[in-house]
Amino acid sequence: MFEFFFKYRPVVFRQGDLVFQSPIPVWLLVLGGVIIAGVGVWGYARGRRNLERRPRIILGALRVSAIALLVFALTRPMLVIATIVPQQNFLGVLVDDSRSMGIADRDDRPRGAYINDYFGEDGSALLSALSDRFKLRFFRFSETMGRLGDVSELTFQGTRTDVASALDRARLELAAVPLAGLVVFTDGADNGDASLSEALLQLQADGVPVHTVGLGVDRFDKDIEISRVEAPRRVLQGSAVAVDLTIKQSGLGGRSVDLVVEDEGRIVKTQPVELPGGSEPTTVRVHFTVSEEGSRLFRFGIAPAEGEIVRENNVLETLIQVEDVQRDVLYFEGEPRWEVGFLRRAVADDENVRVAALVRAAENKFSRYGVTSPDELAAGFPDTREELFQYDGLILGSVEASFFTADQLRMISEFVEVRGGGLLTLGGRLSFAEGGYAGTPVADALPVVLDRRSGDSSRFFAEIEVRPTPFGLTHAAMQLAPSQEESQERWGELPALSTLNLIRDVKPGATTLLTARADGVSDPVVVLASQRYGRGKSISFVVQDAWFWQMHADIPLDDLTHETLWRQLLRWLVDGVPNPVSVVAGADRVSPDAPMTVTAEVTDSGFIQLNGAEVVATVTTPSGISQDVPLEWTVEKDGEYRGSYTPAEKGRHEIDVTARYDGAVVGTGEAHVEAGDLGAEFYGAEMQSDVLKSIAAETGGQFYTPETISTLPEDVSFTESGTSVFEERDLWDMPIIFVLLVAFMGAEWIYRRQRGLP
Amino acid sequence: MMKALAVTSMLVLVALAAVALPAQAQRRGAGFSRNVQDYNAEYNGSFTFLRLRYAPLSAWGGRRSREAEWAHDWPRAEQHLAVMIEELTTIEPNADGSTIFDADDPEIFKFPVAYISEPGFWSMDDDEERTLREYVLKGGFLIFDDFAGSHWYNFEEKITTLLPEVYPLRLDATHPIFHAFYDIDAETLDEFVHPLQWIPSEFYGLFENNDPDGYMYGIVNYNNDIGEAWEWSDQGWIPVDLTNEAYKLGINYIVYAMTH
Repeated sequence: MFEFFFKYRPVVFRQGDLVFQSPIPVWLLVLGGVIIAGVGVWGYARGRRNLERRPRIILGALRVSAIALLVFALTRPMLVIATIVPQQNFLGVLVDDSRSMGIADRDDRPRGAYINDYFGEDGSALLSALSDRFKLRFFRFSETMGRLGDVSELTFQGTRTDVASALDRARLELAAVPLAGLVVFTDGADNGDASLSEALLQLQADGVPVHTVGLGVDRFDKDIEISRVEAPRRVLQGSAVAVDLTIKQSGLGGRSVDLVVEDEGRIVKTQPVELPGGSEPTTVRVHFTVSEEGSRLFRFGIAPAEGEIVRENNVLETLIQVEDVQRDVLYFEGEPRWEVGFLRRAVADDENVRVAALVRAAENKFSRYGVTSPDELAAGFPDTREELFQYDGLILGSVEASFFTADQLRMISEFVEVRGGGLLTLGGRLSFAEGGYAGTPVADALPVVLDRRSGDSSRFFAEIEVRPTPFGLTHAAMQLAPSQEESQERWGELPALSTLNLIRDVKPGATTLLTARADGVSDPVVVLASQRYGRGKSISFVVQDAWFWQMHADIPLDDLTHETLWRQLLRWLVDGVPNPVSVVAGADRVSPDAPMTVTAEVTDSGFIQLNGAEVVATVTTPSGISQDVPLEWTVEKDGEYRGSYTPAEKGRHEIDVTARYDGAVVGTGEAHVEAGDLGAEFYGAEMQSDVLKSIAAETGGQFYTPETISTLPEDVSFTESGTSVFEERDLWDMPIIFVLLVAFMGAEWIYRRQRGLP
Repeated sequence: MMKALAVTSMLVLVALAAVALPAQAQRRGAGFSRNVQDYNAEYNGSFTFLRLRYAPLSAWGGRRSREAEWAHDWPRAEQHLAVMIEELTTIEPNADGSTIFDADDPEIFKFPVAYISEPGFWSMDDDEERTLREYVLKGGFLIFDDFAGSHWYNFEEKITTLLPEVYPLRLDATHPIFHAFYDIDAETLDEFVHPLQWIPSEFYGLFENNDPDGYMYGIVNYNNDIGEAWEWSDQGWIPVDLTNEAYKLGINYIVYAMTH
C-alpha cells in the first residue's frame, strides 16, 4: 500500500536524503505560489462577502493546500540514496545452528527448515536475489562459529547461541573486503557470555548494518518453563532447605500442576503449584529436607502439559553439597533458665549441630554442658578470638553487656563480621536494651534497633501471639509442617509466649520473620529478625520462653514443633559459616569444554585474610584423572584466589583446594561441579524479536520475519557500506501528490457548488 | 569458691531467721482455704516454685476429701528456698511467690519443676494421672520429698501408674544433679538423714528408659524431708549443717532441672 502511493518502499525514505532539483530557483517557486495562493485567499476573503466566515476559511485552506502541493512538485523533490554496486560487495549471512532451531513452533515446522527453504539445494528467490547483488559468505554459529560451505552442514545441535561472538567474528573475518552488511538468521534466544552491546558498538563504528531475520514465534502456544533455580550451594545433612524457582508459562495460566523435587532420582517432595496468569514469571518456593550426604543433584520438574512443544524446559537441575559435618554452637546464658534445658534437649539428637552451653550459675561460677574436653570453656566465656572463633554459632541468652570486657564485646561483633559466624540473641531480662547493649559493638551486629530508653524504664512484660511475616512464612527455618499452608496453620495454633524486651524496629537491611501484637504497644513488635553483618549473619529471637511450644498444655505430647523450630533455627544459624578455606565454583553445572572459574577465600586460624598463600585446586574428573590448577590472588580482594579450569568430561568433578602459607597447610576446602548438557537452548527459547529488532535498529539494519523477508535483498542494497553508488529517485511523480491535488481541488469545487458558487 | 558459697548460705540463714515472715508455722492440714490458688504468683517467666496439690488417701485406700499432706511446709519452705536461690545464684525467682495447682490443671505446664510433698499420701485420679504424665514426658521435672519408711509403697505404686516403664534408680554422689551448682560429695550424701526421724536418707532418680546416664524425669528424696529443713531454717529447730545441705540439694535440683 505504502509503495502504491509513495512509489517507493519505506526503506528508501529511511535510507535516502531529500533534495530539490528544480530548474527554477526554489525561492522563486515559493514566491509564485504564495502570490497565487494569496490572490485566491483574498478572493474568498474580500470578493465573496456574502459567504460566512467558516466556509471562507475552508475554501481558502483547500486552495492554499492545492497550490502548496503543486509548488512542492515543481521543486522536483527527489531522494538521493546509496545503493550497492552489484557483485562488488560482500554480504555475510550468519545462520544459527543451535538446538533451539529445531523447535517446530511456526506452522509445525522447525525453525531450521526455513534455512533450507532459503538456502537449500533447490535454491530460492531469496538466494538468487541476494546472489545477484552480493558475493555471499555463509557462517554457522552456536557456541562456536565457523564458515558454512553448504546448509546441509547445519546440524542444529549447538548447545548455546552466542550472537555477540558470532557478529564479532564475522566482522573480523570480513574486515578486509567491501562489506554491505550482515544478515543473521536466528531465533534470537541468545545465551552466550559475550557482551552484545560491545559487539554492536564495533559494528556501529565500522558502519556495518546488521539485518536480523527472526525465526520462530514470540510466545509459544503452550509452555511451562522453570527458568531459574536459587538454592544454597551447601547445607548440613538433615536440614530443611528452601529453594526458589522462577516459573513462567504461556497458554496455561491459572492451571494447577505438580512440582516434583528429586534427589538423584528419588522423589523427595511433590508440591502443587498454580501457574501464573499473565506472561510475567512467578517465583515459587519449595521446601524439602536433604537427607543424603554428599554432592547431590536435585532436579525440579513439572510434567509436560498436553500440546507443549518444548518439554525440555519443564525441568531444571542444581547441585547441592550436603555436608555430614558437625557444627559447633556456643550457648552462653547469664543465668540458669528453662530455655537452656529445653533448647539443649530439642537439638540433642541433631548429630550435625553440637551445642556447648555455658551458664553463669552464680557470680563467677559457670556450669558447662555438652563440652567435648575438660578444657573447653573451662575459664568461662572465651577471652581470645582463637577460642571464640572455633565455634560456628554463638547464642547469647540473658546476660548483661557489662559482664563482658570491652574486648569481648568487640570480639562478639567480629565473630559475625570477620569470622562469618552466626550470632543468635535471645530475649530475657538481661538481653538487648534491658541488658545495656545499646551503644556497644554487639548492638552494631544486631538486626534490631535497641531503644536506649527501654533500659531505664520499669520492666516490660507482654504476652505475645507470635505470627510469621509473609517473608517468614516462606523461610526455611520457619517451616513447621511439610507444606507452607500447613505451616501457616500451625503457626496460627501456637500458644502465646512472653517477652521482656520491647523491640519495635529492625535495622535497614534486616528482615523480620516473626512479629506479634503486645498489649499497650500500637504497632506489632519484632519477635524474630535477621540480617547479614559482614561475612556472617545475626539473628534476634526476642522471647524468653520459646520452651512453651514444647511444654504448654495446648501442645500435644507428640508434637515436634519445638524441636523442629530449634533444629532449623540452629542449622540456619550455622548455615554457610565459612571455614578457613572456602571454595566456590563459578557455577554448579557447566557445559563440557566451557571454561569455569574456581574461587577460594583463604584466611588464617583467626579468620584474617591471607594474601601470600600458595593455593592449588586439584580437580578430579569422573574417570579419576586429577589435575592441579593453581589459583592466583585476585588482588581486588584480600584473601581471594582464582583460577580457571575447563572440564573435558561429562559428570561430577571434585575440586579440592589446599592453601599453604610458609609451607604449612592453613586449610582445605572442596566444591563440586556437574559438567553436562545444560539444555540451555530450551530456556527462554521463544523468538526474541525485541533483541533482534534492537540489533537491527542500533546498526542501521532491519528486522524481518519469513513474511517480510522477500524485500530483504533490495533493502540490503541500500547502504553506504561497501562499494556503493548514489542514485537519485524522483518524488514529484508520486501518486500521492496527484491524488491529493485532485482531492483538494475536487473538494473545493464540490464545496463551492454546495454553497451555490460558480 | 565452695567455702565462699557455704559461708554466704550461712549468712543468709541468719538473715532468714531475723526476717519475720508473714505466715507462721502451720500444722499440716489446717489453716487455709480451698482457694489457696488465690495466693498463686502470676507467670512472668521467672522461676516459680510449683507445689502440686492432691487428695490424700483415706485409711481404707480410697480418696477422701482434700487434706493437706501435700501442703506440708507450705508456704515457708518455698519462700525460704526462693530467698536462698536469689541470694546465691543468678536466678531471679518470681518475686510474687510460689504456686499451687492440682496435677490436672493446665497451668502446671508453665512451671516445669513440681514439688510433691509426702508422696506416701499421694493419689491421682485419671485426669491428674494423664496430665502429670504429659507434664513429665514433655519436660517437667518432679521433686518428691518428705516421706519415709512404709510410705515408699504408696509412692512406688503411684509412680508405676504414672510412668509404667520407669522404676526409681538409687543415685550416688556421682550423678550430675549433685554437682549442678554445689558439689555434694559422697560422704555428705551418705551422712544425710531425715531431719526429724534421723534415719539415713536415700536418693532415687526417675530416668527415661531407666538409663541413669540419660534424661531425668525427677528426683526422689526418700527417708528425707528437705522441705522441713527449708521451712524451719529461720527457727533453729533443725541443725544448721543439715539445713545447709538441704538448701544445697534444693538449689542443685532447681539448677539441674533448668539446664537439662
